[in-house]
Amino acid sequence: MFQNRTEALALALPAALFAAIVFLVPVAILLSEGFRTADGWSIQAYIDFFSMPLNQKVFLRTLRLGLTVTFVAAIIGYAAAYAIVTLPPSSKGKMIGLVVLPLMISPVARTYAWIVILGRTGIVNQALMTVGLTDGPVRFLFTETAVFIGLLQLFLPLMIISLISALENLPRDAVPAARVLGANWFQVFWKVLLPLTREGLVIGGTLVFTGSLTAYITPAILGGSKVLMLETLLYQQVTVANNFVSASIIALILILMSFAANILLRRIASARNSK
Amino acid sequence: MSDAPYLSLEKLTLAYGKSIAVENLDLTIRKGELLALLGPSGCGKTTTMRSIAGLMPVKSGRIVLDGKDITRVSANRREIGLVFQSYALFPHLSVFENVAFGLRLQGMSGAALTEKVDTGLRTVGLSDFSARKIPELSGGQQQRVALARSLVMKPKVLMLDEPLSNLDARLRLEMRTELQRVQKESGVTMIFVTHDQVEALALADRIVVMRNGVIEQIGTPEEIYNKPASSFVADFVGFENIATVVGNKLVGSAGEVTCPATLPNAAGLAWRPHAVPLGSGPYRGTVRGVSYAGSSREYVLETPLGPVKTEVDAALPTHQIGTELAFDLPPEAAAPLRKIG
Ligand SMILES: Nc1ncnc2c1ncn2[C@@H]1O[C@H](COP(=O)(O)OP(=O)(O)O)[C@@H](O)[C@H]1O
Ligand SMILES: [Mg+2]
Repeated sequence: MFQNRTEALALALPAALFAAIVFLVPVAILLSEGFRTADGWSIQAYIDFFSMPLNQKVFLRTLRLGLTVTFVAAIIGYAAAYAIVTLPPSSKGKMIGLVVLPLMISPVARTYAWIVILGRTGIVNQALMTVGLTDGPVRFLFTETAVFIGLLQLFLPLMIISLISALENLPRDAVPAARVLGANWFQVFWKVLLPLTREGLVIGGTLVFTGSLTAYITPAILGGSKVLMLETLLYQQVTVANNFVSASIIALILILMSFAANILLRRIASARNSK
Repeated sequence: MSDAPYLSLEKLTLAYGKSIAVENLDLTIRKGELLALLGPSGCGKTTTMRSIAGLMPVKSGRIVLDGKDITRVSANRREIGLVFQSYALFPHLSVFENVAFGLRLQGMSGAALTEKVDTGLRTVGLSDFSARKIPELSGGQQQRVALARSLVMKPKVLMLDEPLSNLDARLRLEMRTELQRVQKESGVTMIFVTHDQVEALALADRIVVMRNGVIEQIGTPEEIYNKPASSFVADFVGFENIATVVGNKLVGSAGEVTCPATLPNAAGLAWRPHAVPLGSGPYRGTVRGVSYAGSSREYVLETPLGPVKTEVDAALPTHQIGTELAFDLPPEAAAPLRKIG
């Protein structure tokens, strides 16, 4: 199509410059904020940031929620995806549609739905009180559990879709072949399914983990200021405290966590595959 | 080979949801036998195999192996081998690990495992390939790995689903001989599925002809080839001229002719092309097609019965298209059919 590489690069240059100026430069400026002091560069701001108990707590909570949501999404997602791919073609299409449907609804609406369900007079509390398990309403909202449930619901479809495509690409009859060779279902999973769908699990895991780290609306609505996560803390630092140094530090932490998760998951995948 | 049934299917009915794929199938297989399941695509061969392997629930009926009812035994405990049509190798494992897969599940390891896997690979002629990855193998080699993977398990019955259909013509012949050798050497009871009558005739001790989920005929290759029981089987093994017998008339697709000779007591008669003499006989037809086939020449005649195919010595003079000729359908040269349609 192009005479040579130089010509192609020349054509790509304007778009690349545009992206660099409007995206990379501001990010670089923002991130440099955390290292700049009155008399030069230093990591003192980072030391200060991590020495504050609140920040430590929020950081650990974000990491914990990200990991648990990813882990639970992987387990539920695997079971759901396997059930869906083994359905006959007609109902398979409908089920995939059902999984994708929530992705088309605004996360704000989806998160507010949880208030209806988990609130003081919500469905869950009314059911608990009717059955007599509790006398008064149980507090679900503004707890870590509520944020966990909200995030799981928000990102589970991404895991299911990734795993469905991985399972669909499984070599035909690989599972029956393992069965006939004497594998029980547990062995089928560990020796055949898992190694052959690792790639999908990595993609789904990365999507869910980075999604959970960077979600704002869900922790804001279901956790509020009681259950701060890095993302909600970042927003607070900018709008309430006007502290751009903290905001810059949090932004860098979030970026690094996403990269780390992706690299780690890729490592796991390739290490097992090349055995 | 003993005569006692080793594997029996008793009134086996299999279904996908509401649609019945195999109905009331009765079949017994002797120990050490090489049985071919022959039938057109979609007749239920794969379904039958999957149910024997435990991969398909049985709607009704029983499967008995070596004196034990295995109808409800799960697939991983049946001791039955199945080589899938798609081979179903594990792409994340080497050739060695593919063959070792089942043995490892039995807890085998170390030198004992290596020896068994090496023996298996040697049997199929792949000794030098044990470190290879599956995607690096040709179709024929993948098939051999799949065969070795099943063989090393010493299954009571080894089943192969269309083992030759994915191979090119030359490999197919080679693999055919190979399968026969492996079966004779190991003495394993073997069932193989094919839609190719030539394969079934060449390999099998006995052939089961299936159609639409039911058995049409069971017999030795000679019986199937020379005495087809029905027009379906006759057509399948190359009897290209089939007529229904009604009194002293022969009825074909287009119409009927009166036979001067006495017709045998059968539902129909079937002739191979070479059993139809051309140039003499009580019937007349017009040449509509000629094709040269080396030592012989084939003619398609338009006759009152419908098209009739004959085959004559290529050394004889050629008849032009449009020529009207006499021909015969001698009852004594025909295979009598018990069932038409
Ligand atoms: N997974 C399936 N779901 C529904 N119907 C099926 C399925 N597999 C096969 N069938 C149907 O069952 C019948 C027998 O199929 P099969 O055993 O695969 O035939 P063969 O192996 O002789 O070609 C066919 O009519 C086919 O359409
Ligand atoms: Mg088939």
